[in-house]
Amino acid sequence: MKQKKIGKKIVCWLFVILFLFTMISPMLYMAFASFMTEGDLNHIPPKLIPSVWTLKNYVAAFAQQPLLKYVFNSFVITIIAMVICITAGCMASYALTRTNIRFKKLFLVFVLAISLLPTITLINPIFKMYSKFGLLNTHIGLALIISVLDLPMTIWFLTAALKGIPVSFEESAKLDGANLFQLFIYVIIPLLKASIFSISILVFIGAWNRFLLSQVLNQYEQYRTVVVGLTLYQTTHTIPFGVVAAAGMITVLPLMILVLLFQKNILGGIMEGGVKE
Amino acid sequence: MERRAKRAGYLLLLPSVLLIGVLIVYPAVNTIYQSFFEIRTQTAALGPKFVGVKNYIRTFHDEHFWDTLWWTLIFTVVSVFIELLIGMGLALIMNKSIPGQGIIRTAILVPWAIPTVVSGIIWTQFFSQNGIVNYVLKVSNMIGESLNWLGNEWLAKLSILIADVWKNTPYMSLLLLSGLITISKDYYEAADLDGAGKWKKFTRITLPLIRSTMSVTILFRIISAMRVYDLIVAMTGGGPAGRTETVSMYAVNTYFTYGNTGYGATLSVLMLILSVGISLLFTNSLKLKGSV
Repeated sequence: MKQKKIGKKIVCWLFVILFLFTMISPMLYMAFASFMTEGDLNHIPPKLIPSVWTLKNYVAAFAQQPLLKYVFNSFVITIIAMVICITAGCMASYALTRTNIRFKKLFLVFVLAISLLPTITLINPIFKMYSKFGLLNTHIGLALIISVLDLPMTIWFLTAALKGIPVSFEESAKLDGANLFQLFIYVIIPLLKASIFSISILVFIGAWNRFLLSQVLNQYEQYRTVVVGLTLYQTTHTIPFGVVAAAGMITVLPLMILVLLFQKNILGGIMEGGVKE
Repeated sequence: MERRAKRAGYLLLLPSVLLIGVLIVYPAVNTIYQSFFEIRTQTAALGPKFVGVKNYIRTFHDEHFWDTLWWTLIFTVVSVFIELLIGMGLALIMNKSIPGQGIIRTAILVPWAIPTVVSGIIWTQFFSQNGIVNYVLKVSNMIGESLNWLGNEWLAKLSILIADVWKNTPYMSLLLLSGLITISKDYYEAADLDGAGKWKKFTRITLPLIRSTMSVTILFRIISAMRVYDLIVAMTGGGPAGRTETVSMYAVNTYFTYGNTGYGATLSVLMLILSVGISLLFTNSLKLKGSV
C-alpha cells in the first residue's frame, strides 16, 4: 500500500516535470538561441545552451529593422485600444446591469455573435473606409478596430462582475445627490477595480498579439507593430534565427512580465470571462 | 426619474453600439454586398459591375479554393480534437491537489500569452533541416536522413498542427478547468459509496456536468481555428507551392495581392456562412451562456 503511494507520487512528479518542460522549453530555447553565436546556431548536433554568450543578435535585431519604433507603435496602439475598450465596456455593462433599458439580453447575444465573425469578412471594407478617412497607417485607426474586437469579451466580463456587486453602494451615493458621472468615478470604478484590472491585462495581451489587421492596415514602417515587424527578418534565404530570436525576445518581454507579475489575474480573467454559464 | 435613468442607459450603450456598428456590422454587410459584384483594383476606374452569383459559381470550379477549404477544415477538426483530448487530461490533473500547482498554472500561460507568430518562428526552427526534431529522430534511429519537414506537403501540415496544439491546448484546458471546479465534491463522494470506478465517474458525473462549458469552449476554438492565418504565415507562408494555404490566406491574397475585391469578398462570405452554420449547431449551449 505504501509502495503504491510512493509510486503514485513519483509518477505525479514526473508528469509535472514533463509538463513544465513541454510548456516552457520552446520559449527557453528561443531565449538561449538569442544569445548564441552563429557558430553555435549552425552547430550539428544543435546546441541548446550557448557555449559563448553574445549580444550580437540583439544589436543586429535593432540595426536590421527599426525594432524600437515597432515596439513603441505596439505600445501606443495597445494602450489606446485598451483605454477605448475598457471605457466603452464599463459604460455598456453599467447600462446592461443597472438601468431598465430594453433589449439587454438581445444585445448581449448580439455582442457574442459578432465575436464569432471571421476577421477576413471585415478586413477589406475597413481598409477602404480607413483609406478614405485617412486612418490607414495611424495609431488611432488600428487601435479602434482592435478595441472593437476585444469589446465583446470585455462587455461580458464586466457585466458579470457588476452583477455580483450589490446595488446598495450606489443607492446611498445617489441619495447624497451624486450624478451619473460622479457615481461612475467614485463608486462604480473603485468597486470594479479588480475586474477592470484583470480584463485590461487580457485586452493588452490580445491587442499586442493581433496580426492580420496590423499587417494589412499599418503597412508603413513608421506605424508597423512589432508582431508584424518580426516576420520581416526572414527576407534572406538562410533565416538568421539568432537575430529573429532576439527580436522575438523583445516582442514577448512585456507579455512575459505581465504573466509573471499577474498570473492570478490572468487566470481569473480567462476562467471567469471565457466561458461562464 | 425612471425615464431619465433609461435615457442615461441608452446613452451609455451608445459608444459600444457605434463602434460595433461602424467597424463590425457595416464592414460585414459591405462584404456580403461586394460579393455580388465584379470589383478589381486594376479596373477601379470602371466601377463595380453587378454580376449576381457569378463569383459564387466560380468558387465551385476553383480547385485552389477547395484545396484551401479542405485543409482549413482538416486543420480545424484535427487540432481542436487533439487539443480537447489533451486539454481535458490537463484540466483533470490541474483540478487535483498535486504538488507544483502554482508553477503549472503559470507555465501554462506561456504558450497562451506569446504571439502566434513567435510560436510559429520557434517551431519552424525546431522543424528545420538541421533542427532539433530531425536530430532527435536521427539519434533515436527513427529516420536515416534529415526530413524536409516544411518542404513536404503532409509533413508541413503535421508540423503546423503540432505547433498549433502546443499553442492552444493550454487555453482549452483552462476553460475546461473553469467548468470542472464548479462541480461539487459531493457527487464523487456519493459515487464512491456506490463503488463507481474512475472511468464511470468521469463519464457519468464529470462529462454531463461540464457539457455546456465544453461545447462553448469547442465552438470558440473551432471558430478561431478556422480563421488560422498568423501561424501558417510564420511557418510556411502557405508553401510548399500553396499546399498549406488556408481560406483566410487565400482571401487575403485575393484582396490585396491580386486586387480582386469581388472574389475576395465571396471567399470571405463563404467562411462567414460556414462559421454561422457551425455556431447554429451549438445554439443550445450559447443560449445557456446567454442566460447569465
